[in-house]
Amino acid sequence: MGVAVPTASINLRNVGRTFGATRALANVDLDLKPGVTGLLGPNGAGKTTLLRLLATALPPSRGQLSVLGLDPGVPAERTSIRRQLGYQPQEVGFPRGFTAFAFVDYIALLKEWTEPPARHSEVRRVLGLVGLSDLGAKRIRAMSGGQRRRVALAQALLGSPAVLILDEPTTGVDPEQRVVLRTVLAEIARTSIVVLSTHQTEDVAALCERVVVLDRGRVRYDGPVTDLVRQAAGRVWLADEPDPAASVSWRTGTGRYRNVGARVRDGVEHIEPSLEDAYLLLRAGSWEHEPAGGVAS
Amino acid sequence: MTGWHLDDDALRRYVERTDSLTEGASAEQHLLSCEPCRARVNAAVDVIDLAAVWDRTRDAIEVPRPSVFERLLHAVGLPAHEARLVAVASAFRAVWLTGAAAILAFAALAAAFGHDHGVWLFLAVAPVVPCLVVASSYDPWMDPALEPELVTPYPALRLVLLRTIAVLALALPTVLVFGLVIPGDAPFGWLLPAVGFVAVVLAASTWVSPLRAAIAVSSAWLALVSLLAARFGSPDAIIQGRAQAGFLVLAAASFVIFILRRRQLRQLRPWG
Repeated sequence: MGVAVPTASINLRNVGRTFGATRALANVDLDLKPGVTGLLGPNGAGKTTLLRLLATALPPSRGQLSVLGLDPGVPAERTSIRRQLGYQPQEVGFPRGFTAFAFVDYIALLKEWTEPPARHSEVRRVLGLVGLSDLGAKRIRAMSGGQRRRVALAQALLGSPAVLILDEPTTGVDPEQRVVLRTVLAEIARTSIVVLSTHQTEDVAALCERVVVLDRGRVRYDGPVTDLVRQAAGRVWLADEPDPAASVSWRTGTGRYRNVGARVRDGVEHIEPSLEDAYLLLRAGSWEHEPAGGVAS
Repeated sequence: MTGWHLDDDALRRYVERTDSLTEGASAEQHLLSCEPCRARVNAAVDVIDLAAVWDRTRDAIEVPRPSVFERLLHAVGLPAHEARLVAVASAFRAVWLTGAAAILAFAALAAAFGHDHGVWLFLAVAPVVPCLVVASSYDPWMDPALEPELVTPYPALRLVLLRTIAVLALALPTVLVFGLVIPGDAPFGWLLPAVGFVAVVLAASTWVSPLRAAIAVSSAWLALVSLLAARFGSPDAIIQGRAQAGFLVLAAASFVIFILRRRQLRQLRPWG
């Protein structure tokens, strides 16, 4: 059962993780506090590996990892961490024949909710949080992808954990439910450390105070979302044709082209940059100038 | 208006839905024509915890009913929550257990009526069934919720051992039943091989997946039994004391390896 820790933090110092000859993470330094931190990065950037480290599903190959002041390498401390942890992996396999209620109830049992009335009440609470109150008795195999995703999220929310690790929680979830889930996560993040990875930059923009961009196992940017977006000011413009000076161009719904370029362009129709623009810029190369707020490397 | 009224106890039972079907129907009929009793029902409903009634209603719909196996585990002393943790494994679903029992029953019938060939068949099949059920009870391919399970505080090793013990506990009464229909020592001769193979599967699953281990052990055993059956007419080679002692040693050695390498179980391996 989750216990809120007022001075909760997760600290990584020079953390690395390899799988055989493949380096998934290298020299990661992070300090995570209560609030929502978004992880962005292309496929294979190391996001899932980092989340698995934070969730104690995987040990680091090198460096120091501390979760809530506890060392996950020590079995007793690892168990203490797990008592205060919620984790939604990228892929959740659901045992055959389980209903949503039965699955979340099963995970609640493993999380030491042994008293049936309190456990059932908690299972209903978390299913309600993810908008599945009326589908508790429905078999998971008969649910849509988005509903299954919400069942997976519900089990992570059991006990209002002090640390909530979510790997692509909104993938396949419809826009209305995504808004509901953002509200739920924002409320939890008032006292808990929430770390989520996603490919949806709008989720990060709407929910996260802080964003960490990973690329090939390294932290490329760590700082406030607003600062990252500010980096793209003057580098996003509309034109009737794709601009060869742009790093990325695409045709928008209006028929005009949105151009995002590494250099500040003059004499063009500038528009307000989005987080996606800033992220694409970061991916395309480095900025001309030193970042104003966060740390880009 | 009728000449009688519901007494307090009957009214309470009606409101709480704890009355019998007949009594409830009678109360319902009376309430249709008795204004004072309807007023008393309204007053009584006010003091009922409607939230609790609603929770009970939802429990009846949503909470999974304990299977016969789960109730059995609880009856023999396992706490209710652990009985649930053991019994939810796919391997303990009624359909699997019925299938396993049917295979054993078929082999037992062959042993009862098929003389030595039947006994060979029984000795080939009976020991591999428990080891396949044990492997299925904690193999992630069967129950793939591995990662959410992995990061919970409940000890994975305890879960694996509880499920293993549950399978072996099912095997014992089976031996007693078979003892009634199969002549000779064959009904008892399969138990130690079964225990040995289960221990081998536990030990081997610190290197490979449990189901792969069980399939390898079962295949090796079936091949060995075929060879022995071809060479010796009588199944005494397996049932006799020396062979049985060998299975006991195999079980003990495998269990020691399992305990020494327990942190290499797939459920624990990341932190081994």
